Amino acid sequence: MDFSLSKSQLMIRKSVRKFASETLEEWANYLDRESKPLPPEIVREMGRLNIWGIQAPVEFGGAGLDTVSYCLVIEEISRVSAAVGLGVTVHNSVCLAPILRFGTRDQIARYAPDLASGRKIGGFTVTEPQAGSDAASIQTTAVADGDHYILNGQKAFVTNGGVGDLFIVAASVDRSKKTRGIALFLVEKSMEGFEVGKIEDMMGMRGNMVSELFFNNVRVPKENLLGRAEDGFRISMQTLDIGRIGIAAQALGIGTAAYTAAATYAMERKQFDKPIGTFQAISFMLADMKTNLDATRLLIYRAADLKDRGLPFSTESAMCKVYASSAAMQVCMQALQIFGGYGYVKDLPVERFFRDAKITEIYEGTSEVMKIIIGNDIIREFSRI
Amino acid sequence: MLSILVCIKQVPDTQKALFDPKTGVIDRNTADNIVNPDDLHALEMALSLKDECGASITALTMGPSQAADVLAEAYALGVDRGVLISDPRFAGSDSLVTGKILSRAIEKLGPFDIIMTGCEAIDGNTGHVGYQLSEFLRMPLLTQIHKLRVSPGQVIIERLYGHEYQKIRVDLPVLITAGKTANRVRTPRLADIRTCAEREITVLTMDDIGGEAREYGAAGSPTVVIETELFSHRRERELFAGTVDEKVDKLIHKLKKQNILRY
Repeated sequence: MDFSLSKSQLMIRKSVRKFASETLEEWANYLDRESKPLPPEIVREMGRLNIWGIQAPVEFGGAGLDTVSYCLVIEEISRVSAAVGLGVTVHNSVCLAPILRFGTRDQIARYAPDLASGRKIGGFTVTEPQAGSDAASIQTTAVADGDHYILNGQKAFVTNGGVGDLFIVAASVDRSKKTRGIALFLVEKSMEGFEVGKIEDMMGMRGNMVSELFFNNVRVPKENLLGRAEDGFRISMQTLDIGRIGIAAQALGIGTAAYTAAATYAMERKQFDKPIGTFQAISFMLADMKTNLDATRLLIYRAADLKDRGLPFSTESAMCKVYASSAAMQVCMQALQIFGGYGYVKDLPVERFFRDAKITEIYEGTSEVMKIIIGNDIIREFSRI
Repeated sequence: MLSILVCIKQVPDTQKALFDPKTGVIDRNTADNIVNPDDLHALEMALSLKDECGASITALTMGPSQAADVLAEAYALGVDRGVLISDPRFAGSDSLVTGKILSRAIEKLGPFDIIMTGCEAIDGNTGHVGYQLSEFLRMPLLTQIHKLRVSPGQVIIERLYGHEYQKIRVDLPVLITAGKTANRVRTPRLADIRTCAEREITVLTMDDIGGEAREYGAAGSPTVVIETELFSHRRERELFAGTVDEKVDKLIHKLKKQNILRY
């Protein structure tokens, strides 16, 4: 068993780390403080670097990377700006990836090149004000009308909502069929009746324009149906399995940033004539942080590797996500404690890491939903005996 | 189309490396190997020329087999050919012999319109190689360039030389060394990083470039390192008393005395 990264994976990590520190770092605090998106010139540069099409095939303008490399990119970006990492992972793993996997040749030709290059930013939305973890209870409807479906309804907490050009939208074509009645549609910002609602004023991830979306008699051509009408829920769940690996990598990035900052500070800050990191109380905290992050990393790479080898990874994806988000929270809390009063003020980024980490336990399936997925797998396994 | 060769060197990242306090030698296990920063500026200058007017770029490095890593990085950035000079008989070569080896390889690979190097490497900091290549190859040398334009058969370069700003027109072929402030080195595309390690690298040995073993390596090198000392730079702090005007006068006086302000 070889736990080491390949030469190209190491180069990818080094290169993205350099880009993040040279280009994104100066923006990270501003995006958070002002709740603003990245300026267009940086979005374009990220497009040139293939960051909007990390795993998309080269013929569509992507980099064609494996999933472990994908995680490295998300981790490194999120180390500097979790909000930018969020935009990138959602765009890649739950918008572009399902189009490439489940889309028709025409849909791929129409959307993949623009998405992979970052000329268009994508999102994916199931959640509604009344339908969170209970995704099957969505109220947004799609009614067939000739060559079109007519969409009506409202979506909530849509990542990239304020800046996105294309969204995969879950809507019910037949409420009586519950999950089998949920379909996915490719909805463009320019379609009549599509409206971006309030940009959320959030605790963390403030550099991502998370918003409400409204659909008021939006006429979506039937060729924009993603997969078969009755497969929307299944495609959503499979898509989220992939998305969760990205969110876990994001949590790992946040945790790593907090740990690195805390370890550096602990060896600089002197109290009682000694660096505080040499006191056992602090070094034990750092030891816990390092161990937690390493375990997270291995869980993520394992899930990513299973996906790359075409093996089932749904449970492993849920395991890495629930563990990574919890580890990120714990590590950020300990980092803040090590920084003491300095960690609590906004002059240093530690409090931002802490605020950003919390949402990883909530979105792309809450930690409780992750445990349902893992629990169901355990039930299946042991009821056979 | 222009034909450009860029010399790049793999060096330990001396900003992160730890030094043995007794011998003053770098502990190579404490640092990653990187492309020498000045060489990256030279490479970026070549890549910009390629973007502007088209060029074929060869990246040349010398070292053990792991030095091929810097060629993979050069491929990711956009060079067309990577060449590694590697031979155990070259081990221990000083900067003079390195210049000799590189120039013989360049003569074999060439001809080139422009040959570029960084000003100096962060491990040895001799800054010799550019000058030695110029001697061995009998080519005009322009050092510490920060801007370069091509006109037919010529290049127009801009350089900071001490306190002077010079603009020089020179016929091709020419050898230049790129300064630290030359440019901002581009980030490679992920797609190019993915494939760069698989690109073909030409390996040259002593048998390819000619010469005899006694000319190369430690045996052929006249340089002898007598002693290495660790150098630490200390910052001085001084507080001036008085009104703002008095403080400014004192500061200007002090800066002039230290030759920091000249006029």
